[in-house]
Amino acid sequence: MANLNIDSIKDRTFDAIVIGSGMSGGWAAKELAEKGLKTLILERGRDVKHLKDYPTTNLYPWEFPHHGVVPSAVQEANPIVNRCYAFGEDAMHFFVKDAEHPYVQDKPFDWIRGYQTGGKSLLWARQTQRWSNFDFEGPARDGFAVDWPIRYNDIAPWYSHVEKFAGISGNKDGLAELPDGEFLPAFPLNAVENYFSKHVKDKYKGRHVISARCAHLSKPNQIHLDQGRGQCQERTLCQRGCPFGGYFSANSSTIPWALKTGNCTLRPFSVVHSIIYDEKKGKAVGVKVIDTNTKEAIEYFADVIFLNAAALNSNLVLLNSTSGRFPNGLGNDSGTLGKYVAFHNYSAHISAEYDGYKEWATDGRNPAGGGYIPRFRNVYKQETDFLRGYAAGFGAYRNNTRNSEGIGADLKHNLAKKELGGWSVGSHMMGETIPKESSYVMLDKDKKDQWGVPLLKISVDYDDNDAKMKKDYIEQMTEMFTSAGFTNIQAHTDTRAPGLDIHEMGGVRMGNDPKTSMLDKWSRLHACKNVYVTDGASMTSTSCQNPSLTYMAFAARAVDHWVNEKKKLNA
Amino acid sequence: MNRRIAIRNMALILGSAAVLPSCLGDKNNSKPIVELKHLQLNGDEQQLVANLAETILPKTDTPGAKDLNLHLFAFKMIDDCMNKQQQDDFKAGLKAFADAADAKYKKSFNDCTVAERTAFVNEAEKDIKDKAKDDAKMLTFYQTVKQQTVFGYTTSQYFMTKQVVYELVPGRYNAMYPAAKKEAV
Repeated sequence: MANLNIDSIKDRTFDAIVIGSGMSGGWAAKELAEKGLKTLILERGRDVKHLKDYPTTNLYPWEFPHHGVVPSAVQEANPIVNRCYAFGEDAMHFFVKDAEHPYVQDKPFDWIRGYQTGGKSLLWARQTQRWSNFDFEGPARDGFAVDWPIRYNDIAPWYSHVEKFAGISGNKDGLAELPDGEFLPAFPLNAVENYFSKHVKDKYKGRHVISARCAHLSKPNQIHLDQGRGQCQERTLCQRGCPFGGYFSANSSTIPWALKTGNCTLRPFSVVHSIIYDEKKGKAVGVKVIDTNTKEAIEYFADVIFLNAAALNSNLVLLNSTSGRFPNGLGNDSGTLGKYVAFHNYSAHISAEYDGYKEWATDGRNPAGGGYIPRFRNVYKQETDFLRGYAAGFGAYRNNTRNSEGIGADLKHNLAKKELGGWSVGSHMMGETIPKESSYVMLDKDKKDQWGVPLLKISVDYDDNDAKMKKDYIEQMTEMFTSAGFTNIQAHTDTRAPGLDIHEMGGVRMGNDPKTSMLDKWSRLHACKNVYVTDGASMTSTSCQNPSLTYMAFAARAVDHWVNEKKKLNA
Repeated sequence: MNRRIAIRNMALILGSAAVLPSCLGDKNNSKPIVELKHLQLNGDEQQLVANLAETILPKTDTPGAKDLNLHLFAFKMIDDCMNKQQQDDFKAGLKAFADAADAKYKKSFNDCTVAERTAFVNEAEKDIKDKAKDDAKMLTFYQTVKQQTVFGYTTSQYFMTKQVVYELVPGRYNAMYPAAKKEAV
């Protein structure tokens, strides 16, 4: 019996445990397994294998029961996730449904989740920009949150490392506020995007409209072919999972790569209850998992834990990991755990028309989505009555006019006409928000889920800074559109809740001072040095760039640090 | 369209809904064409929607609504993708539509000739253009059927392979493409 127990513990012991198999967890697992560590990946949802588990990927519109429309019963049962732009009949099986995993909204918060291997990396919008020193120096310069413990130079080589493997398309634009990376060829701007780019460059100092940089294999290198991935075929049906592996997802890239080493075990249906802290050893020794099907509690052990459960769930795991040493959550000596949560403000967009370049159209589809306008407000110095700034998307489109007038043969004729309309243009804002102590998550005191894990209570909100920034975005874009000769300019604002941006960050922030932050400059808990957090939870501030690329870089950098530390100890 | 494809398409459109044995052309038929989950329509009402869809997109030298099972698609969409309120409005509008046809032709829409149906629907089109208000319910019903019929048509295999070709795998993005070439495709 005793032997059996020892064997059982041995079977449940690894060199490293990675909690979460998504954007950042996939990277941690890949790096650990490549460096020879026996690694266990815990995924709370089901396994989704590349290609095999993309049931809708090759369906034509008419092959969907409702030709793409989400049935009203599904919509009514899922008011939250139904608000997500990618929640359609073709991809709804990859999203968490509202009733499956409830949470408590102290203030309105649309928490969009994907519980499966690969997590939301299957579903993301694939925009990938590096953060710059203007972002990492932001809190110190502008006096909010705490100083980032790193600068751009610390992370730059790791950006290169992940970009080469993931495959990022883009141009070397030479902008200090948006550093260049290791790029595959960019998806070019079309006639009107290009016109606007030139116009803005001529008229507005320090403002740029560039090809959006995105995680698509515009021209794969050997390292991508080695992953079994091929060139992007411009389907723009990415949310279904790509049969070509044309965009980066953990499913197509990091997870199979990690598994191929033979060093990695993936355990789906494993919700993490807590990280086990050993008071005598003064470190984390493992993870308590609940099998989501059998509800059996199982403990797994390892020298190091990488927590990559996605921003808010990583907060939840630490908050629920209590011990005599850490009664308020693992590593929470500072009392900052769960606090200083922020997000991106996407609540404004602008549309217009342009009466020119009628001789040009586009052919095929652009997976990058068009242009990107890096932040131009308050970059070199504070110049407005709000802190920080916003990036913006910019796209121009020209489609067939679909005329459904009349009936009978006339109607058939109208519908089949291949007559191009004029150009439409559009832009949306992506605003940095300021992390505040008053924006937090905590465990609900009473309510638990079916696996005995307390529900997360979310209390995150906009503030005056966001309102001022939104107003400025509309003013500046309206002026730039007017100046470019765009007509019928219409600004749209909405009252979306935080969360729908799917860029929630913070709660387990990095910082130099253990009294005011959770993680050190290597992304590990100040107070428990063998636990690393390298997903959105670790972000000290939010920048206005899309964050996934930065999570990937932090994950790879943290693994490298751990392995080097181990070497030093063993030497 | 060959029979095998027709059956497959029907199965795709209907999913779990059962097709009831009936003949679409039978004037005295009151048997429902299809059993719906939420929307309660009798046989005559279903025939009216089917005949209306065929009036909107009739068989010409190319397939019409009934050939493409667009009426079945419309039923499915209204049954699955509209909420209770919209379905109630649909039913009320259907009744108003049927009553208006009865009043005008002293026989049911289903018993009308193709020419009569076409004239009646053209009038509805005109009322919508003129923003006529007195028969709002009926026009909402009509627009719903038209919308779903047109949506079903423009997303049908026939349309997307024979009329305006949809490419699942473009394999290219040409950012600068001559408009003239695009319109000539």
